[in-house]
Amino acid sequence: MTANTSTQHLWGYRALFLGLCGAVITVKMLPLSLDATGLPGPDLLLALTLAWLLRQPAVVPIGSIVLVFLLADILFQRPPGLWTLLVVGASESLRQRRLSMTEFTFFLEWSAFGGAVFALFFLERLGLWLLMVDLPPLGLVIAHAIVTAAVYPVVVAVSKFLFGLRKIGAAQAEA
Amino acid sequence: MAREPNDQSYARPVRRLLVTVVILALAGLVLVWRIDNPRVERLRAAIIDHVVPNMEWAMAPITGMARMIDDFQSYARLYEQNEELRRELQQMRAWREAALQLEQENARLLDLNRVRLDPELTFVTGIVMADAGGPFRRSVLINVGARDGILDGWATMDGLGVVGRISGVGERTSRVLLLTDSNSRIPVTIQPSGQQALLMGDNTQAPALDFIEAPEDIRPGDRIVTSGDDGLFPPGLLVGQVVETTDRILRARLAADMSRLNFLRVMRSHPGTTLSDPGALIGPPWPPPDGFVLAPGVPMPTTAPITRPDRPVELSQPEPTQ
Repeated sequence: MTANTSTQHLWGYRALFLGLCGAVITVKMLPLSLDATGLPGPDLLLALTLAWLLRQPAVVPIGSIVLVFLLADILFQRPPGLWTLLVVGASESLRQRRLSMTEFTFFLEWSAFGGAVFALFFLERLGLWLLMVDLPPLGLVIAHAIVTAAVYPVVVAVSKFLFGLRKIGAAQAEA
Repeated sequence: MAREPNDQSYARPVRRLLVTVVILALAGLVLVWRIDNPRVERLRAAIIDHVVPNMEWAMAPITGMARMIDDFQSYARLYEQNEELRRELQQMRAWREAALQLEQENARLLDLNRVRLDPELTFVTGIVMADAGGPFRRSVLINVGARDGILDGWATMDGLGVVGRISGVGERTSRVLLLTDSNSRIPVTIQPSGQQALLMGDNTQAPALDFIEAPEDIRPGDRIVTSGDDGLFPPGLLVGQVVETTDRILRARLAADMSRLNFLRVMRSHPGTTLSDPGALIGPPWPPPDGFVLAPGVPMPTTAPITRPDRPVELSQPEPTQ
């Protein structure tokens, strides 16, 4: 593969990432199932971002993350910037960790994602507590985190078989 | 991106700097939001105002399709539904008769009492555009905003019952905080016992009733209406019915159909008249009008005999509200 086509691929995937995030936000905003209580659905935006980041770090640049999550923060009535800040932090730490690993099996990937999700939800709660914003019920937040962590294989399968996003090794990630 | 290997030496520190700047900027944004909340919320309303109407072209067909599928599924139960509706219609006819008689009687009584109902209770109708909540927030966006005269805090109803209140107004859109949101608190009256309570949303479908003075006087099935004690909601809007859960907590089954919010009425409310004048004695006019003659032998007083309010308190005509 020449450098030119690889660059084209990269930009294609970057655009695809933004498009998918836009679609997820739009679907979330549809005024359907307004009375849905019970188990909260997974945070697909987070799962998509971190999955693509773990598989091909270069297709999820920090600019895309800031753009998508800041827009989501504003549209979903969350404290603007807090969740974005945490996701940017988590993505940078995962990027660093990705570089240092030579062997990167799927289960390692999944556990890295799960750890990141739980850390994110804990830190968000801590941040909300520090800012004296009232907290959502703890049980629901934990359920939300578990559902988000559990949806990871599905997101990976869809990105792999539908969008052809293959996992690249540490050596290629470095380049 | 294919980067030259010798780029690495300075690309790393530059990247680290960029990340630090982004993180600091975001932290600053959060702090500004916390410190100067109203301004940032106005900014948020303005951004939503620009973004959401542009998403409408994508959202409207999907929403329509999903609703059609929903309707189509209900065709499967058409026969049962028909039977059910027939039975209900029969009951409703009886109720309608009762309601008509009561309405006539009510009109007669109101006429006898010369009661004037508030004529200023009008409404603006809007369409639900988007679901503006996450998993822990219950709110919707509607397509009327500041240019339609919507103000923060106004009550919002569907055809039957209260849905929530306006919380955040943009130029063309506004956000309705639903009664089920965990931040929603409205004062209500429970009929027929007339007890005051607070309806507290807690992310479930049936908000809890709290701060009830005598819960033993309340039975499941009692009507819940707004009390108007907050000075925002007009009193007497239907909210729902009391239900009692197995853990003996009183909750409200909402009259509004929260699963299918489509058209919402925003009730224009006006601040109630408040009595700001202290009570004072009402005496004869002072100074005495021309031609006023005292009885012979009574000395003319030199100062006002009693203090009078500067402005007479009009009891019959309340001050017009704007």
